[in-house]
Amino acid sequence: MSEGARLSAHGLSASFRDEDGRRFEVLDAVDFAPAPGRFTVITGASGSGKSTLFNLLSGLLPPRAGEVRFDGRGISALGEGARDRWRRVSLGLVFQNFHLLDELGPVQNVTVPALFGAFSDRRYRPRAEALLDRLGVPGGRRTLHGMSRGERQRVAVARALLFDPPVVLADEPTASLDAVSGAGVLAILRDLAREGRTVVVVSHDPSALSMADTAFRLGAGKLEPMAETAP
Amino acid sequence: MNPLPIVRALFRRNRGTVLLFMGLIALAVGLGVAISAQERALRKGSARAADRFDLIVAAPGSQTDVLLNVVYLQPSAIELVDPTILAGLLAEPKASLVAPVAFGDSVDGFSVVGTTAAFVERLAGPLAEGRIFRNRSEVVIGAVSPFRIGDRMRPVHGHGAAAEGPHAAELTVVGRMARTGTPWDAAIVAPVEHNWAVHGLPTGHPPDSEAIGPPYDPSRLPGVPAVVVVPDSVPSAYGLRNAYRTAETTAFFPAEVLVQLYAILGDVRSVMDTLAIATQVLVIAAILAGLMAVTEIQRERFAVLRALGAPRSYIFAVVWVAVTAMVTAGAAAGLAVGWAAAAVLSRFIARETGIAMTASIGSGEIGLALLLVAVGGAVAMIPATLVLRQPVAESLRG
Repeated sequence: MSEGARLSAHGLSASFRDEDGRRFEVLDAVDFAPAPGRFTVITGASGSGKSTLFNLLSGLLPPRAGEVRFDGRGISALGEGARDRWRRVSLGLVFQNFHLLDELGPVQNVTVPALFGAFSDRRYRPRAEALLDRLGVPGGRRTLHGMSRGERQRVAVARALLFDPPVVLADEPTASLDAVSGAGVLAILRDLAREGRTVVVVSHDPSALSMADTAFRLGAGKLEPMAETAP
Repeated sequence: MNPLPIVRALFRRNRGTVLLFMGLIALAVGLGVAISAQERALRKGSARAADRFDLIVAAPGSQTDVLLNVVYLQPSAIELVDPTILAGLLAEPKASLVAPVAFGDSVDGFSVVGTTAAFVERLAGPLAEGRIFRNRSEVVIGAVSPFRIGDRMRPVHGHGAAAEGPHAAELTVVGRMARTGTPWDAAIVAPVEHNWAVHGLPTGHPPDSEAIGPPYDPSRLPGVPAVVVVPDSVPSAYGLRNAYRTAETTAFFPAEVLVQLYAILGDVRSVMDTLAIATQVLVIAAILAGLMAVTEIQRERFAVLRALGAPRSYIFAVVWVAVTAMVTAGAAAGLAVGWAAAAVLSRFIARETGIAMTASIGSGEIGLALLLVAVGGAVAMIPATLVLRQPVAESLRG
């Protein structure tokens, strides 16, 4: 993991058109610079633009205005191939619905991002196994069938960590989990921040807020800091 | 970049659809391959069957009818060659063998063909068992005839329901010919004098004689349906063919007639080929429509791969490899299905006609399958390209 890698958003704006063709602002000139080593949570009501911010930060959506920078470089300036590689290697993405491939086993799911590169995915199997072991996913499973939702989300977190990225972004990682499993996943994400990563969780889960080092609330297109919940 | 694990996962997820598509492709290819392989087997088998009938001389009329009668033993009414012409042929110095062929009788549906012992040897080589006929009441049978040496039989005049008889003369089987791959393999071959005698015709010998085979008395010969002539050289063959193309006779090499028949067959084949290709095009179009639906269903999955950092080329490769692999596997299965269908058909036709034929996959069929794979590979680019146009963030929401 590269130390001190910083992800930041500057004047980020996004808008959509509704069914009647009217444009409405989702994000309005948002500035955001989550600190490495801190567990950052962004909360907000449904429809407040949390997922839009997640997609902008991960380069999946182009902003209407402003830019996302990584280590001082605007990711919009990157060519598409370089942006794909950046997302693969420097970002770890975790989704609400896990987005695992049910036909593959846990280890194969974790090594999926390695399929896109120049090296064989087999080369990453030991790391995948070590990650699953570290995250408490029972070893030796050949399929995802029979795994709990909490275990599946841990597999998804392991996949996000395959290339040891300096930034981890999670979009509602606990929304489809029970309270115990959700708390376990949040604890893992917080531990990842403790290791020096930039970890940003977009969530409306109160337990995520309670564990956050830094919290923001998104509303009316603006991102406002909340009182810090940890030193 | 390794798209195969994702392709395998796609196949596992859509197992039923993939098998259905592959089955459709296999059927479409199999149809084309079966038509092509069967037509070739029929062509080769029929040509091989006519190999030993170097030059056929008959009365003027349809050469095709004569060919079907003499080589393929398909009975039909044909005019007789005048006895004086037969006498001239028998004295022909440019011929190493002249064999009159007479037919019209049958036993239990099996043709009784009259000819000479020399032609039996020319046609089938040494006998597989027993010996050649030595008198007018002895016959040899073809290799696959159900009769056995020692069997006795009384032929009837004609074939099937229209047959009349039986004749008074009784025949005894004394030998079995080796396999020739022709309808003669199921025939009963008698001395031609037997056929002439039972029909009250002169036999080429004195009336009280029981002799068979040459030399014949030119003044005692009857008319015959056809004469097989083996010329002593290639120039002689063409010379004899020209000499006997007159107002009284026709002479032809079986290959000449077969070429005309194949030309007709070729026209039919080209129609069938067009239909087979049209079927394949329809199948590919149907599959393409199905694939677009499947890729639409899978858009969330492709969006996830993009979100995880897969370049567009990777997504394109996954869809392209999946479609091409499916078409290739279907085409390969189609080759096997087509070959199997042609083999079954060949066996059936061989049993019905006696013409030995072997279905095989040739370069034409492989070319057809490769063409389909190439078209499939090109067509696969359509869903592969469409997948790339789907917005990732929107598709991630499912």
